[in-house]
Amino acid sequence: MIWPIIKKSIKEQVRNYWILLLTIALAPFFVFVYYLINEASQPSYDVLILNQDQGFVSQGKIVNRGAEFPLYIKSMVEETPEVPLKLKLSQDKAQALKQLKNKSVDALLVIPLNFSNALNDSFGQTPEIEIIGDVSSIPYMISAIWVGELLDDFISLFTGQEERYTINETALGLSSTISEFELWMPGILILAIIMIMFSATIAIITEVDQKTILRLKLSRIKAWQFLIGVSATQVIVGIISILLTLSVAMLLGFEMRGSYLIFLLIATLTSISMIAFSLILAAVMRSVTDVLIIGNFPLFLFMFFTGAAFPIRAKALFYFGDYGISWQGFMSPTHAINALNKISIFGLGLSDILPELAALFSITIIYFVIGVWAFKKRHL
Amino acid sequence: MIFIDHLTKQFGDLLAVDDLSLKVHEGEILGFLGPNGAGKTTTIRMLCGLLQADSGEIHWDKHPQNLIEAIGYCPQENIYWPRLTCLEQLIYVGQMYSLPRSMSEKSALKLLSQMGLDEKKGILAEKLSGGMQRRLNIALALIHDPPILVLDEPESGLDPQSRVLVRDMIKELAKRKTIILTTHNMDEAEKLADRVAIIDHGKLLKLDTLEQLKNSVGEGDLLEISIDINAKEERLKNLEVAMAPLSQSVTLFENTLRIRNKDLLGKISAITTVLKEQQIEYSGMQLRKNSLEDVFIHLTGRALRE
Repeated sequence: MIWPIIKKSIKEQVRNYWILLLTIALAPFFVFVYYLINEASQPSYDVLILNQDQGFVSQGKIVNRGAEFPLYIKSMVEETPEVPLKLKLSQDKAQALKQLKNKSVDALLVIPLNFSNALNDSFGQTPEIEIIGDVSSIPYMISAIWVGELLDDFISLFTGQEERYTINETALGLSSTISEFELWMPGILILAIIMIMFSATIAIITEVDQKTILRLKLSRIKAWQFLIGVSATQVIVGIISILLTLSVAMLLGFEMRGSYLIFLLIATLTSISMIAFSLILAAVMRSVTDVLIIGNFPLFLFMFFTGAAFPIRAKALFYFGDYGISWQGFMSPTHAINALNKISIFGLGLSDILPELAALFSITIIYFVIGVWAFKKRHL
Repeated sequence: MIFIDHLTKQFGDLLAVDDLSLKVHEGEILGFLGPNGAGKTTTIRMLCGLLQADSGEIHWDKHPQNLIEAIGYCPQENIYWPRLTCLEQLIYVGQMYSLPRSMSEKSALKLLSQMGLDEKKGILAEKLSGGMQRRLNIALALIHDPPILVLDEPESGLDPQSRVLVRDMIKELAKRKTIILTTHNMDEAEKLADRVAIIDHGKLLKLDTLEQLKNSVGEGDLLEISIDINAKEERLKNLEVAMAPLSQSVTLFENTLRIRNKDLLGKISAITTVLKEQQIEYSGMQLRKNSLEDVFIHLTGRALRE
């Protein structure tokens, strides 16, 4: 009696190959993606050095230890591949801070005016070195530890003494005052919008599933009119969802440090982007059941690889100005989370998130073009 | 008049519609008949603009540019928005055809009344009975008052009461509209169609009035006699020969002997005599006129499809 049931179940399971594939391949696939993002390339942390050292003249030559320090780090990185630092130099502190805010570097090291003199003075001055960064971020912490180690070695070369310096740590924005709960909030807020991927895809695919798309095809309505009509409702759903999430977060202690208008702008753009992505999903699916099963695949990708569930770091594949686009940069929530981090955690303004908004907008357009084309081709 | 001219559509190796040409007259009800897979739905889908023909064309001499918008299509399957009320979806579809809301609502209320659904206007479509959903399906095709109506099996799934209501409505609509009706139901076609087109394997086999179609398979009456098929083969052969003077045509298929001729009622006693002479037992006989089904089977054969 049991054997026929087992046989029948196996046949059904194999013939329902999408579910089988997702069940057994999802986790291994994510392991592979995570490997691609994190492990396939040697992790490196970008440190920006602003050398303000004036140096001194000795035997007719200018001595500038501040200028020598980056060269020292460079030689150490070459000799010891385990040192995961990548150096950049800056001449302007305002510009350097901007790069830091844009997350194109992880830490900024400011070498003071008297650095060389202090090292030359065996008993007197102690150089005060400033290191600036988002103290809540792991890349900053790792960068700061390595810079501290190398600085200690470098200074002891000239002074023969260890730890003959003072490091002043300056937290970028309000990063030193935020709690871990607040740190997670931008990602979770965007997750509220990622979830509309389901309602948006279902709203579209329902017309296919219940065949009412036929009535729309017979009428004068154009594909774009139908899609915009459906999308408008979903944008509202997305905004309600994120506002509700924000309200709950604020009731529980989250502090919104930036402008609510900019927050709404990010929420709206992200909602549109998710709807655009939903069009791509709707194009490859046929029924609501498909959405509920196969839709989990992009949901997990968006949750785990955009920073929505936990911070993730990947090497930039290319740059637009100072703004690096990594592997996950092709998933629009990545930029939304970056932007929301800057607004809600660091209290930054619109001009500080322009690269994120530009990236979010561009990817949304790409999603829309692919989505409308694919949906028309498949279902209209 | 709608001209369907050398229409061809192929899906992979399957030639669904093969060089089909026909004309649909203004204001007529054209029955479109064919076995499963004959190419009816493909032709209708091309007519409604849902499918692109590989070759050939469809042309409407009244407003050549607006044929697709002039068609109201009622698909075989009930297609509606389950979570919209009857009134809401009719208004919605009206607006999709660019009707102003007020006009769309007026038209919707009128249609609901004609379909006997006025008391259900505020009910979600998913809550309606199958027959009511079918009537709503027809109403959705009519909301923009199209001059051409394409009805795909309009009576399928209807109870007798609803069938009569829908049939009367189609007759009423035919006073103002051109109607193309696809059906498997010969009774439906006989009661409604002015002309009937029979297609099979994508080709038009015959297009004519009902009377002409029936005459084409033999004039007069048809007598069907249920005989004992266990009779010796020789006797059965003799029977066909013996019946020849009494009939225009005699066919024997399985246990039914079919005799066609004019005024067969007066020849029944002679026919029974022949049966006795040939020692053939019979269990019953039925005298009737030729039906559309006879024409259909005559043209398309008895082999099962799909």
